[in-house]
Amino acid sequence: MTQQTSDSSEQSEWQPRIVAFLCNWCSYAGADLAGMSRFAYPAAIKIVRVPCSGRVDPMFVIKSFEQGADLVLVSGCHPGDCHYTSGNYHARRKLLAFRELLTFLGIDPRRFKISWVSAAEGAKWSSLVKELTAEVKELGPFETYSKILTGENGR
Amino acid sequence: MLKLTIDGQQVEVEQGKTILDAAKLAGKEIPTLCHHPAVPPAGACRICVVEIVAGDRPGLVPACAYPAKDEMEIQTRSERVLESRRMTLQLLLARSPGSDVIRQMAKEHGIKELPFPEQTGENGDDCIMCGLCVRLCQQIIGASAICFDGRGPDRKVSTPYKSQSDVCLGCGACAFVCPTGAIDPADYCPNPIEKIPNEFNCGLDSRTPIHIPFPQAVPNKPFIDRENCIRFRTGGCGACETICPAGAIDYDMTDEFVEEEVGAIIVATGYEIMDPSIYEEYGYGRYPDVVTSLEFERMVSASGPTNGELTRPSNGKPPMSIAFLQCIGSRRETGGKPYCSKICCMYTAKHTILYKHKVHDGQAFVFFMDIRAGGKNYDQFVRRVVKEKQATYLRGRVSKVFPRGDKLVVRGADTLSGTQVEIAAEMVVLVAAMVPSSGVRELSQKLRVGYDEHGFLLEAHPKLRPVDTNTAGVFLAGACHSPKDIPESVAQAGAAASKALGLVCHTRLSREPTIGVVDESSCNGCFECEGVCAYGAIGPREIKDKKGNVLATVAFINEGLCQGCGACAATCRSKSIEVQGYRDDQLFAAINAIHR
Amino acid sequence: MAVTTQLKTSKDLQELRLRLVKQREAKRIGISVCSGTGCRAHGSMELVEEFHRQLDAKGLTDVEVRATGCHGFCERGPLVVIFPQKIFYHGVKIKDVDNVIEKTIRKDELVESLLFKDPVSKAKFRLEHEVPFYAKQQRIVFRNNGKIDPAEIDDYIAADGYAALAKALSKLSPEEVIQQVQQSGLRGRGGGGFPTGKKWEICRSQDTEEKYIICNGDEGDPGAFMDRSIMEGDPHSVLEGMTIGAYAIGAAQGYIYVRGEYPLAVTNLSIAIEQSKSLGLLGDNILGSDFSFDVEIVRGAGAFVCGEETGLIASIQGDIGSPRQRPPYPAQSGLWGKPTNINNVETWANVPVIIDRGSDWFAAIGTERSKGTKVFSLVGKVQNTGLVEVPMGTTMREIVYEIGGGTQKKRKFKAVQTGGPSGGCIPESLLDLPVDFDKLQEAGAMMGSGGLIVMDERTCMVDVAKYFLAFLVDESCGKCTACREGVAQMHNILVRICQGDGRDGDVELLEKLGAYVKETSLCQLGGTAPNPVLSTIRYFRDEYETHIHGKKCRAGVCKALVSFAIDAEACNGCGLCKRNCPSEAVTGEKKQPHSIIAESCVQCGVCYEDCPFNAVIVE
Repeated sequence: MTQQTSDSSEQSEWQPRIVAFLCNWCSYAGADLAGMSRFAYPAAIKIVRVPCSGRVDPMFVIKSFEQGADLVLVSGCHPGDCHYTSGNYHARRKLLAFRELLTFLGIDPRRFKISWVSAAEGAKWSSLVKELTAEVKELGPFETYSKILTGENGR
Repeated sequence: MLKLTIDGQQVEVEQGKTILDAAKLAGKEIPTLCHHPAVPPAGACRICVVEIVAGDRPGLVPACAYPAKDEMEIQTRSERVLESRRMTLQLLLARSPGSDVIRQMAKEHGIKELPFPEQTGENGDDCIMCGLCVRLCQQIIGASAICFDGRGPDRKVSTPYKSQSDVCLGCGACAFVCPTGAIDPADYCPNPIEKIPNEFNCGLDSRTPIHIPFPQAVPNKPFIDRENCIRFRTGGCGACETICPAGAIDYDMTDEFVEEEVGAIIVATGYEIMDPSIYEEYGYGRYPDVVTSLEFERMVSASGPTNGELTRPSNGKPPMSIAFLQCIGSRRETGGKPYCSKICCMYTAKHTILYKHKVHDGQAFVFFMDIRAGGKNYDQFVRRVVKEKQATYLRGRVSKVFPRGDKLVVRGADTLSGTQVEIAAEMVVLVAAMVPSSGVRELSQKLRVGYDEHGFLLEAHPKLRPVDTNTAGVFLAGACHSPKDIPESVAQAGAAASKALGLVCHTRLSREPTIGVVDESSCNGCFECEGVCAYGAIGPREIKDKKGNVLATVAFINEGLCQGCGACAATCRSKSIEVQGYRDDQLFAAINAIHR
Repeated sequence: MAVTTQLKTSKDLQELRLRLVKQREAKRIGISVCSGTGCRAHGSMELVEEFHRQLDAKGLTDVEVRATGCHGFCERGPLVVIFPQKIFYHGVKIKDVDNVIEKTIRKDELVESLLFKDPVSKAKFRLEHEVPFYAKQQRIVFRNNGKIDPAEIDDYIAADGYAALAKALSKLSPEEVIQQVQQSGLRGRGGGGFPTGKKWEICRSQDTEEKYIICNGDEGDPGAFMDRSIMEGDPHSVLEGMTIGAYAIGAAQGYIYVRGEYPLAVTNLSIAIEQSKSLGLLGDNILGSDFSFDVEIVRGAGAFVCGEETGLIASIQGDIGSPRQRPPYPAQSGLWGKPTNINNVETWANVPVIIDRGSDWFAAIGTERSKGTKVFSLVGKVQNTGLVEVPMGTTMREIVYEIGGGTQKKRKFKAVQTGGPSGGCIPESLLDLPVDFDKLQEAGAMMGSGGLIVMDERTCMVDVAKYFLAFLVDESCGKCTACREGVAQMHNILVRICQGDGRDGDVELLEKLGAYVKETSLCQLGGTAPNPVLSTIRYFRDEYETHIHGKKCRAGVCKALVSFAIDAEACNGCGLCKRNCPSEAVTGEKKQPHSIIAESCVQCGVCYEDCPFNAVIVE
């Protein structure tokens, strides 16, 4: 666990951090297209490339929160269009069940998003990121995780 | 083989053939009316009479129904034959003065006036009693819906008791064979007469169930549309099998499902023209003289529904004025396609040239937004059209098309002069957007190739890999990828072909190394991973001791099949599978790096 | 029927014949009453009943009454012939029966009033063969008519019936039978005149198992009733002929196509078929041989065109009665596509007698190229109408005058029309033409099926042509353009001419159309349809000219072109015309010459017909 050093400048100018796990063939390419097409999107988003959304292990999500992500996004190919045929179906089932677990743990489910962005949807990617950034700004920084660890919220 | 002499020319035919068959072989033309190759002959109309001069009882006989005999000598245009033929035509003309076919035939035989009065009004009848429809319906179709009613000059073709028919199939074959177009099955058939729209001609004309789809079809052979073919519907007809000289028709053929293992697939599924009926302001589907650019293309084609004669659908006359409306459905932010369909400016210019060629005194107008003519010599081409006044180009969009009198008014803008214009056109062509062929979404899902919201298939990289897709071995060419014209499609096809060749001409396959690997020491053999692998790349592997006893059964990943998606890695409970390059520790490191 | 068990051999048949002949000898007297359709219409069946009744009542048991087939002298029916002398009585009524029995049967005396009296010489004739009508006839086809009851097979057998069949089956091979028929020179009696033996030969030579025999009993010519009388009066002669033909050709099934309007013929043929079958003379294993042949009757439905071979075949098959293009001919491909031999009723009736008496005997009758006899129906404006059977070679003059007794009412002979709607007319100048297929053909006439219509000065030849064309327009099947349209147009022209609207060039157009229809039609209905027109134009062109240019019908027939007047010098004022005129168009005092009021006259022709002094004339 890394220590997060709180800084007054950080507290007053908190920059939201979104960790996004993007599948290589669709969502990552879509993000790439957004770039090529010069669709701007906020820098709050940090992308981790995986071969398929099905590669995403719930541990990655937990790790991200642990490390201080304010919102985690998993994005893959549209259902039916997975480059590996069925990877996104496995992802969907697994992660939806995982979201229930997160809710049980007391984590705001709005901080964990699943989306489908195809390689042609550069514009969609851009507007999605803008939307998520606005939402996470509203939600504020994710402090529950550290409180769980330090036992601050009494659980 | 029988030897005949027809008009002094020797010809040989098989036993069982008629004089008409022999004449055809000899290249002698004999007019017929009641003859059709698929229907047994009757010798009823008497137009085809020829003179037997020797080899059989001398006299006039009908060529279509008289069997050829060895050593026969025939005259097809002797004075006696021509006299008889003229009288037959005069009699038919008196009976059917309104029939264009008979009029034409009579004219060709130099008949100017009739020695007897024409039958007019109710008595004048285009039906010449040739009996083709009855013979066809009884002997070929097998429905026997129509028959002869009465005898002599009052004989008519009718249904039993002149009632509506219970057995008429609505196939329309009777109308098809009728030499004068006198029979209308709608008169006695309670079922709607189904004309099969000719798909290649955009439904502008109809086709038969057995047909060659278009003149350039490969293979250039006909096929049978089972849904409409009488043979498959009722067991009747079978005319095609009867007359096929090659015996090529086999009704028992079924569709074959062919399974081939291939190393590369090139997708070249092409495009369609968008249906502009959604733009109600242009009246497509409401006004018969509003057509799409593809329909126009078919109309002016020599193999099209009117054999290349451009006629207004409303009245069959050539349109003396025509308006082409470009960008219908293209370049629209909303309510259409946002992209430019690329090919329309060029082909519309071509259409104006074709139009002027067919209607010399006609006037063509083109409403355009911009002229996209970027290819080799393209701009010069369009410029020429404007300069030679093939058409008047108006820059502006059209707001409405509506009828006035027997013309259509096209109301649009001319932005260069800043005025509203109204053109009265006899025909309006909507140059509609190019869209990918229907059914492409299902295909691309099977091929695991991506597509965009318009259905255009996705290339691997828009600049650097325009013919590859993200799926190894699947390549793209042509309009399925994006709107493009012929030279570009050909170029792209060549590129895709060479890429495909590049794949299959190597002896070794190189592949990405990012595949899954099993840690056999921690694998507990639950095989959850096997269930999620989409490629069947995971199977069991027995670990044995030196004696051959099985110690454990673990998962094993086939390197050649694994595609590296990582679903197995995410599923493994004991974390015994790792995807090279995307191992857990690597991804954790990436996550950590984000937060540093 | 005396015997109902099957005859197994020719010997059985011979023995039966002898027994039946002996039986009949027991009857001293035979009264033969004509029961043909014509005499029936005059009450001949009631005569038969009356004879039976009275003979019973009077206890005369050795007298036989027999209802026999048409005797032929239809003008004078009901006819009664008393056997064995063959005393000939005509116009016999119920009231005469008593007389006939009391005088002729009991006392061998004549009933004078019933004897035939020649209208000119006033001479009376006692015996049938003396009567001028019969004197020149040679009744071979009608050998049994007048002698046997057609519903009694025993009568037929007793009269040597089926002896020919027995001979053929036991002594001749099929080829030998054909040879006999060929040597006899028999030619088709239906009108075509095709050599019968040759036709049989062609059919026999076809290499198929299944073959058919057809008897063409359609007899469509208006006024012809020869075949009717044969089928009604001697049906077994037809059956026997067909059976012999089937044996020769190799057919196992036969059809008799009878026109729908002949119910009595159908009845008598059906009875005959049933009776022959029960005796083993028809059906399986005929006369104990391994030859089987069955016959079915098919009725027509009122179409002249079904007398044409291929139209007839279509009708039997249940198709629409339209002829088809030939070749192939029926002998090669006919009923149901199999080789079929079709012959006319009269032709079949000739066959048994040829086999029985031999081809040489038959060939000795007639001319060089037309052998045997021919039955004619002599009708029209002739004294003695009826059926006449004469040897080929007899002249028209003999038939019309010596047999027919010449024209009625002393009117001038004009022409005799032969062959019905397919034939032509023979004018006075050609009356010495012999009855012969080829000679008549050369003269533009046609033997046809044997209709002879006598015409006199009051027959309009243009009207005759129009009549036949109207018939043909009605009967044309409508299949081919030439007949359907051509004949109709010819008819239209004639209608116009007879209405007074004839034009210059009409006759030439008729000739042109006629030639066209003749050579372009699909079948011989169309092929012969122009004959009446062309032949009347050939011999009576002046009548056409008068109709067209003069706008007059001198025969007094075409109403639009006729105006009657009374010849004052010939008229004696008897007033008959005035009394009979339906429109009161005649004026005149008794015993004074009468006159006709033109405005009131409707040209009905009653005065013209009735005037005993021929004082009414056509202007």
